[in-house]
Amino acid sequence: MNDQLTARLAGPPPQPGIFDELSKREIRRAMLSGIAIPGYQVPFGSREMPVARGWGSGGLQATLSLVGEDSRLKVIDQGEDAGVNASNLRRLVVSHVGCEEETDTRHADIIQSRHRIPEQPLRDGQVLVLQVPGAEPLAGIVRDMDEQRRMHAEADYAKMWVRLYEDVVHNGLITAAAGYPVLVEGRYIMTPSPIPRWDVPKLDRSEAITVLSAGREKRIFAVPPHTSVVPLTFEDRPFEVEHTPGAACRLCGSADTYIVQEPAADGRFTTWVCSDTDFCRRRRTGDAPAPAQPVQGETA
Amino acid sequence: MGYSGVRGGQEAIEAAERLVERARFGGHSRWLELDQITERLGPAVDRVMGEGGLWAPHLAARAVRQSQGDLLEAAQLLRAHRSTLPRLGYSLPADTAELPAVRRVAPAHRNPPGGQLLGRSADFTPRLLDLGPEGPAGAHTCEVPNGPDLPHDRLPESAGSDPEAVLRDAGLLPDRRNTDDPEPYDITRAPARPGTPRSARLSAMARAETGSLTHLWYTCGRSPRHQSPEIPLELRRGRLPLRVTHPHTGRPVTVAAVQVTEARTVRPIARPRPDGTRFDLGYGLCFGENEPKALAMAGLDLLVHRDPHTDRLEQKVLIALDGPEASGFLEHLKLPHYVDFRSTMERVQAVRAAAGGRA
Ligand SMILES: [Zn+2]
Repeated sequence: MNDQLTARLAGPPPQPGIFDELSKREIRRAMLSGIAIPGYQVPFGSREMPVARGWGSGGLQATLSLVGEDSRLKVIDQGEDAGVNASNLRRLVVSHVGCEEETDTRHADIIQSRHRIPEQPLRDGQVLVLQVPGAEPLAGIVRDMDEQRRMHAEADYAKMWVRLYEDVVHNGLITAAAGYPVLVEGRYIMTPSPIPRWDVPKLDRSEAITVLSAGREKRIFAVPPHTSVVPLTFEDRPFEVEHTPGAACRLCGSADTYIVQEPAADGRFTTWVCSDTDFCRRRRTGDAPAPAQPVQGETA
Repeated sequence: MGYSGVRGGQEAIEAAERLVERARFGGHSRWLELDQITERLGPAVDRVMGEGGLWAPHLAARAVRQSQGDLLEAAQLLRAHRSTLPRLGYSLPADTAELPAVRRVAPAHRNPPGGQLLGRSADFTPRLLDLGPEGPAGAHTCEVPNGPDLPHDRLPESAGSDPEAVLRDAGLLPDRRNTDDPEPYDITRAPARPGTPRSARLSAMARAETGSLTHLWYTCGRSPRHQSPEIPLELRRGRLPLRVTHPHTGRPVTVAAVQVTEARTVRPIARPRPDGTRFDLGYGLCFGENEPKALAMAGLDLLVHRDPHTDRLEQKVLIALDGPEASGFLEHLKLPHYVDFRSTMERVQAVRAAAGGRA
């Protein structure tokens, strides 16, 4: 009698795995809050994962809370499916959930990514999960967390604008590189994880949901579909994406993708390749849209 | 689907894991058994349980063995294991006045009510490296000492004198006890941030990395702002019984006795402050035998209570002391960063071009 009662009170035996169902539900609630208030950093009870803090523990919690057995999951790091970190995270999720591995951006339901948004425009129904090492766009401006929260609450971003202005005065341009600060839906300033500036326009009025999850800092924020995401800049300073005149991918010849440098045999950085390996492969096989007009490689 | 291209990374990490396993399971010495770790490396196991936030000596010993003695890594393993377990309930509040102490030192008093008990401590053992001969494998070369214990190896439980009471009754100590008995703030379910209750601060420090906690106490506690002397009222160790409400009978039932170290410390109110008539009080409690941790925790609890904002001390205590967080973030620098490196390089070159244009 007592044994039965105890068994009933204990509930179903825990699923062996990475974290329990109640926790996943909590993460989903945090994501929904983030979607309801675009760009607002929702605090959540970030769990420890089988990967260290800073290694995608936030993205992993978001992905694990979203995938089901029939989901198609793509995991990339620096745009690459084959990297060691991407492989490790993919292997963890797939072995835990049993979902389908996918590399083609077009066919993925959930894309977990570190530092990149795929070149292929995302579509309705897809979720992009970005790993976020530092969630707070004001961290480099004020150190006090209370003050950061006050500034967000009152949309008091004067110090951020002063910082950008000082940058222009000292350096002649805005030096923010990856993780460029953006204004979401005219309300919250957000750091879009350290994606390159090249990827920032892809966030604006995207068809897909973007979830940004910072496990170590225990915050989740989101950009719902059709939401305005505007990089902070001044009227007389157009927002500049990465641009190197004459550079193009040595594999597929693209000049309209985000390319990264490879040291050549002589040790000099002279060659370039696409960071999005899936898109590069498709370009080479003629399975990707041809460039509408060259962007990189043209003189400004 | 062209999946062959994505196997390279997976093969590389599997090969790396094989090399680690070769080191873990290879070699010529005997396999470390869990009892060896819990018995012979007790402070290491205690430290991992404290920083991992889980009282489970055998699981902690497994973690120490798996991490090959890397205690930060062991704490990370224990934390990740915690995440797989559902949270079924909370224990009843435990009163440390019930702690049967196996060690108690009270530096502030010569002969405190209840007495001093040096207990098992290497504090006064000369720090000389033991260079005695190694016996054959598996054998001790030292006898287990068999001398007489002192008359009492534990304090009489009635001796549970409250070391604060004397000072409090004399009006020399602020009463920091909560009378409204609020639920503790669970930092594993809601992030600790400045302004969260004291219970969040105490649990953050109980899970903190021992070295970080020591360092923060060392740098803050000795700054000119805090020149008033810190004197611990009491440091104790013992096994604390933990109770939960029995799901059938509704009565409290003891489910575990966890080893803890507890510290209380005082400082006179700092000189420039108006009220110099009383002491400030700090409290620390952590898993296992970890006296530096309990002491540093009590010292920092006091300093945060006194002045949370200068140097953002409260914020540091809440978010900068976690071992897995700090080490994980540091080590993530080993991951590829070539996408942001290209972006940064492009800006540096743009600044150079802009400067050249002006010259
Ligand atoms: Zn390419």
